[in-house]
Amino acid sequence: MSTPENPSVPDTDFEVEIASTGQVFPIPAGQSVLHTLMFEGFDIPFACEEGVCGSCLTGVKSGEVDHRDHYLTPEEQAANTQFMPCCSRARSAKLVLDL
Amino acid sequence: MFIQNTWYVACQSHELTDKPLGRTICNQRIAFFRGLDNQPAAVQDFCPHRGAPLSLGKVCEGKLVCGYHGLEMGCDGKTVAMPGQRVRGFAPVKKFAVLERYGFVWVWPGDADLADESTMPVFEWFDNPHWAYGGGLYHIACDYRLMVDNLMDLTHETYVHATSIGQLEIDETPCKTTVDGDKVVTSRFMENIKAPPFWQMALRANDLPDDQLVDRWQICRFTPPSHVLIEVGVALAGKGGYQAAPEHKAYSVVVDFITPETDTSIHYFWGMVRQFKPNDQALTEQIRQGQGGIFAEDMQMLEQQQQNLLANPDRSLLMLNIDTGGVQSRRVIDRLLAQEQAASAQKVTA
Repeated sequence: MSTPENPSVPDTDFEVEIASTGQVFPIPAGQSVLHTLMFEGFDIPFACEEGVCGSCLTGVKSGEVDHRDHYLTPEEQAANTQFMPCCSRARSAKLVLDL
Repeated sequence: MFIQNTWYVACQSHELTDKPLGRTICNQRIAFFRGLDNQPAAVQDFCPHRGAPLSLGKVCEGKLVCGYHGLEMGCDGKTVAMPGQRVRGFAPVKKFAVLERYGFVWVWPGDADLADESTMPVFEWFDNPHWAYGGGLYHIACDYRLMVDNLMDLTHETYVHATSIGQLEIDETPCKTTVDGDKVVTSRFMENIKAPPFWQMALRANDLPDDQLVDRWQICRFTPPSHVLIEVGVALAGKGGYQAAPEHKAYSVVVDFITPETDTSIHYFWGMVRQFKPNDQALTEQIRQGQGGIFAEDMQMLEQQQQNLLANPDRSLLMLNIDTGGVQSRRVIDRLLAQEQAASAQKVTA
């Protein structure tokens, strides 16, 4: 998904790490963090799956987020402490999530 | 198929109060409401949240508040706010260009960016103290072009309106149709005839005798997309007919704004303007009641004609000499439709 903030940025592969357990999951291009974590058994609330509703908001402990949502304000996005795993991705090789 | 990039009457100004008005025009469900400063606005009648009709909501501080979960829609089709939600990413709905003029709210069902106020027709009689207008609105379940046919061939008056404006001389007097660009004019002039009941009433109202022979005229003018204005009147016989001085005649203009609702239904804004006794409001109401009664007589005919046509789609119809006005009007509509479709196809491929 491209957004006004991120016009036509291509998806890349990256990893997410679960801070509480140390588990690491690969996120291939074309697959969302939300879907990967749901498949792995994490219960993350969601509704719109396109960065509008804010239901899946998840904390970020480290790594640089590639924000692609319409929910967070530009200031909140710049703070890099939370993201929408349904549509947003990573600019860094890994994101450590507050889960 | 409708011409979309043009102005249609959406409603009478008094219909659009402090509540929203839901109305389908050219197959599009539209929510009309008054924004700040009482200015009319129109958006797709579809809440971006769950598809509820916005017109079932209410207007609050110039915004249209959805009656289902409180989404606040702005005049521009963008969500302004919603309780407990961040609305920045909400998809907009289509906004329609509207303007209020002549006691009506007009809508441009097509591309709002193409809406051109300068193409609004100019009517000298509205907002003019020398003229009086009275009219109403009927919903009729027929193709808008059947209503155009009806108004461009007034021989039906003899049969549908036999007790008010009909008379055999209409059938017996040939009509003449001319086409000038997008305008079609069908006219008929009758001389030395008896005035039918409606015109006897009008003569009396204008302080003229109702028992003398008259010259009668009907000049039907079609203009796109589907307006038909008909100059009608009677003058005491031998006084010059259509050209007679005002003191010898009773005359008016029948104003018909036909707005397609669906392929087989219309909002029919009918009315009449007159120059005699323009300040006599009781007369305006009397004429309005009379015209309303007469025009209601067309509804059953048009609706059952539409049912016949739907049940017999392959049946070809006769086009007689009395049908030239309708035939030519349909040619104008078809030509403008083709132009609009060609322009739209060009835009898509560009």
